[in-house]
Amino acid sequence: MRSLLGVAALLIVGLALSLIVSEYTLRLLNLAVVAAVAVVGLNFAFGYAGLISLGHAAFVGLGAYVLAILTTKLGWSPWLAAVPAVIGTGLAAAVLGYPLLRLKGHYLALATLGLNVSFGIVATNWIDLTGGTNGIANIPGLTIAGHELSGERPFLWFGLAVLAALALIAAVIHRSRYGRAMMAVRDDETAAAMTGINVTRMRVAAFTLSALYAAVAGCLFATHIHFISPDDFSYAHSITHLAMLIVGGEATIAGAILGAVLLTFLPEWLRVLGDAYLAFFGLMTLAILIFLPTGIVGLATRWVRRPAPPQADAAIGAEEASRP
Amino acid sequence: MLGCSDLTVAYGDIVALHGVTLQVRAGETVALIGANGAGKTTLLQTISGLNKVRGGHISFDGSPLDSLSCERRVRLGIAHAPEGRRIFPGLTVEENLVLATSPWRPPGGRYGDEIAQVFELFPRLKERRRQLGWSLSGGEQQMLAIGRALMARPRLLLLDEPSLGLAPRLAEEVYERVGRIRRSGLTILVVEQNTVLALAVADRGYVLETGRVVLEGAAAELKRDPRVREAYLGR
Repeated sequence: MRSLLGVAALLIVGLALSLIVSEYTLRLLNLAVVAAVAVVGLNFAFGYAGLISLGHAAFVGLGAYVLAILTTKLGWSPWLAAVPAVIGTGLAAAVLGYPLLRLKGHYLALATLGLNVSFGIVATNWIDLTGGTNGIANIPGLTIAGHELSGERPFLWFGLAVLAALALIAAVIHRSRYGRAMMAVRDDETAAAMTGINVTRMRVAAFTLSALYAAVAGCLFATHIHFISPDDFSYAHSITHLAMLIVGGEATIAGAILGAVLLTFLPEWLRVLGDAYLAFFGLMTLAILIFLPTGIVGLATRWVRRPAPPQADAAIGAEEASRP
Repeated sequence: MLGCSDLTVAYGDIVALHGVTLQVRAGETVALIGANGAGKTTLLQTISGLNKVRGGHISFDGSPLDSLSCERRVRLGIAHAPEGRRIFPGLTVEENLVLATSPWRPPGGRYGDEIAQVFELFPRLKERRRQLGWSLSGGEQQMLAIGRALMARPRLLLLDEPSLGLAPRLAEEVYERVGRIRRSGLTILVVEQNTVLALAVADRGYVLETGRVVLEGAAAELKRDPRVREAYLGR
């Protein structure tokens, strides 16, 4: 029920904004919606399953490139091309996940970072297929019942509908046995295995789900901008996705969306700062990590409901010391 | 029901269990006692599938367990309430309990009877069902760990130091509940440093010292054994 209300609020605010703001702001809103789809996906891996992924942008890029290649080289409709783009990206994540997810913490972060860099190298150098650094231009836009989603406003409406649907699905998964199992793996994987959960399978499932959402974001991005190049999916974008999730509030869908919107608009609002923006951004993220470890959403719920958990595994760690 | 024969387990070069042989028969409660570092927790973790076996075998209901993963063993009916409780701090009490039904429960299946039994055994958990795991006291966390193991519909319950870190009165309360679980007919293997509590609830016991079984017998006999009295009961 709460998630239905949340999605309704998202749609109402989005629709209202779409009618009053400038064309330029509409474009930013579209970018924010695309980022939000990707970050809601990242929340499965990082927020629920506790997998630090610094390669999320590679999956956004894989989805975008498959769609772009199928539409521009083979003349497929973007709707049709989105199907192999999303499914193919999910499969790639599952296949990569089995070896990759044996790693933990920093090692996993480094490995996924490497994955993202490798993706950039392939996209830059496989010129026949990807156009190299020139990218792929003239990607056709989406059409609905003969109407092309050409303007920023119609695209925003469509993007909001996609985001709302995917957020609802994410909320259902969050509350299902699978969501609980992912969070159990995050909290304590040994205890999760003792409780009868297949830890590897839950991790791969979370990673694959996050890649599926990323691929949808990639398809939206490609059909919105009509042009993609390797720079659009560099590891810097992966770090931004992670920052969006942490700033908004990890392990919450509302936080993922809020963080994506805020960090899309913040550089624009602070344009006066020029190059100093990055310094400001770094300090802001640091301040949030220290003072608001549960993000903006955590701040809101702290006043409304139960207090935020302290360092969750501290109590367990203390007793580890007495192991025989 | 459970048999370990000549079980050897090592962490790298350090051998933690040297050829341990142990039997747990259906319906009985067996206590495994011994000092810190004797290998008690290692043995339980090995039965659960968390440690690699270097030599020897484990069987459950007559079939070998050796190649099965941890979660397959839970499916067969071996549930483990681990040392240090290890409840999920970010999940509520109820979520912690429901999670443990995943080995047997099909999607959408009911678990009302199981959770009602756990709440009857530990009414405190019912009061706190919506609280997050980290906010429970030590005693409540121990109850939750045992309750979580019971939710898996076990046929063999492994309890690792349920009295650890609890005030004496709370430890007695937890053991009173273990006694009730025992009377319900469940087979229990309990690891414990608090020898008095463990031998009071058990039918039989094994004494483990530096990875070897040095003594075994009926709980009543062990309580009278001068070696046990001197080393573990302080008399």
